[in-house]
Amino acid sequence: MQPPAEHVHWLFATGFLILGLLLLAEAIVGTEVWRRRAWRAYLFPGTLFLMGVLMWPVMTFFTSSTIHLLAHGAWAEVMMAAGAAELALVRGKLHSPLWRAMVALAFLVSGTALLIHEQNPWLYQRSSFLHHALGWLLVATAIVPLARVFRPRSVSLGSAFALVFVVIAVMLYSDRDVAPIFGHLAPTAGAPHR
Amino acid sequence: MRRLAGAAVVVAVAALALPAGALAHATLERESPSFRERVETAPRSVRLNFSESVDPVALSVRVYTARGRVVSGRPRLLDAGRIVQTPLRKLDRGAYTVRWQVLASDGHVTSGVYTFGVHVAAPPPTAAFGASGPTRTEDIVRWAYFLSLALLLGGLAFRLIVLRGPLPARVERRSLLVSGIGAFATIQVGILAFILRAEDALQLPFGRLLYGDLAPIANGTRFGTAFIAMTLGYALVTAFVFLGWLTDRAAFFWTALVLGLGFASGLSLSGHSAVDAGASWKSQLADWVHLSAAMLWIGGLVQLGAVVWPLAPELRRRAFLGFSRLATVLIGALLLAGIYLSVLRLPQVSDLWKTGYGHVLLVKLALVALALAWGAAHRFLAAPRVSAGSGRLRRSLVGESLVGMAVLLAAAVLVDSQPPVQPPREPPRAVSR
Repeated sequence: MQPPAEHVHWLFATGFLILGLLLLAEAIVGTEVWRRRAWRAYLFPGTLFLMGVLMWPVMTFFTSSTIHLLAHGAWAEVMMAAGAAELALVRGKLHSPLWRAMVALAFLVSGTALLIHEQNPWLYQRSSFLHHALGWLLVATAIVPLARVFRPRSVSLGSAFALVFVVIAVMLYSDRDVAPIFGHLAPTAGAPHR
Repeated sequence: MRRLAGAAVVVAVAALALPAGALAHATLERESPSFRERVETAPRSVRLNFSESVDPVALSVRVYTARGRVVSGRPRLLDAGRIVQTPLRKLDRGAYTVRWQVLASDGHVTSGVYTFGVHVAAPPPTAAFGASGPTRTEDIVRWAYFLSLALLLGGLAFRLIVLRGPLPARVERRSLLVSGIGAFATIQVGILAFILRAEDALQLPFGRLLYGDLAPIANGTRFGTAFIAMTLGYALVTAFVFLGWLTDRAAFFWTALVLGLGFASGLSLSGHSAVDAGASWKSQLADWVHLSAAMLWIGGLVQLGAVVWPLAPELRRRAFLGFSRLATVLIGALLLAGIYLSVLRLPQVSDLWKTGYGHVLLVKLALVALALAWGAAHRFLAAPRVSAGSGRLRRSLVGESLVGMAVLLAAAVLVDSQPPVQPPREPPRAVSR
């Protein structure tokens, strides 16, 4: 039996919140202090990689349409790729800082997938609004991880990067097809089915 | 700045509060008769319940017999357009295909297909009326899948069994790169293969296929179940390959290899060896052994020709002799399993030249014979020269690899072909006294 879609969204929202808090902690104390314990350096990339792996069951079991399948698959792949690149940089297997651009690429691909697979307009229902908002957020803020490639020690960029994940988490937590406030925005969105 | 922020908040709240035009695509929530249901009483109508109301324009629900005769009337809308009811003629015993298409209010068309049976079991949607069966494109995609698996599993096995221990960095890197490409390609090609099979079942142009309901194919067919299991499995295998590279621990590579070989059984459990007449756990096991041996053999040849020979002349002797020993075992297993499967699938020897399946099998056997002869030449003629430290073999290894890949192409066509029909078993005769 499949869980409702919003439960899965909340699960991943928790993952993004964890990512945001980890990055925020690193931005606050500074990378040198953060990496005094070597294992802390693996927390962000390891969590991102794990989330990519966990996205695959979502891709294979939610096959209501081809475009959903492809969108979830794209998210799974880019999260794994971005997490893998960051893990490899931490481990010393990769050396060029340009590999950090993988996260920017993940943002772009994820945002594009969100925008393409949501066929309803902004104001159809809450989840439609969130899909558009999240999609444009990811596309626009891809500049932040890209800038970090060239300014890895910038506290402002580090904080902004962390906050993006927190905002993603808040948006995913807000996803609910039926809600007392701002659920179905249009009466023709249909009766609540959960 | 504060005014701007305040204005943004007001706009957002207003946007959330104000209603907007309704645009949606309708998804099928429930159907009656239901998906692949076997009914004992012929239904008088087909009812489709959708998540949203649908438009009468471009509404289409057709019910076909197994031979393509239309047995449905004109569909009508009920419950404010959420239910589509289609009357049926009196249905005889047999399997039926329902093909539906609805237009939601945003102009997007959603379509689907499913089957049901009256007094018989319903076929899977991939065998519904109108599905044309595997196409040449699917044969090529299946071939690409076999190649990807060969690169992945053959590469890992070569690294772990033939070239054990530390390797020069450049060799390690290229070897894992080849396996990594195989892992990535396995997932992508698997997804493509599934979408192509769904396209064939749904019979939709690509634009509408994007909104086609894939659940009946994913959840209701062996192919779909294999797709789910193998996609998940090879995502996990990819993760383990990466972790092995990251940590330099062979345990991750071994885990990836064992899992990869295990999940390859999805092909055997969803193919001819699982569903055709005479299928049993023995045929499925033989099919898996046959496939796995081929993957390891061909993938190993690629590693030999593309990694060891150009990058590590000092490792050629060890790799060549080690792979020769492994290949002997693999070829033995491959031939034994292949002979068993051929005897199972061809009721008569004459089927080899009288049936399409037999023709493809003959081509495959010829290619296999060529590959074996080439391998034997390497084993018995080239090996002593390699042992002595000489031997330009790269082109020859590449040649053998290419023949092996051609064998995989023939295998891909065979998998998508229908074996000859097995003759019916004669009932036991009563002994007269």
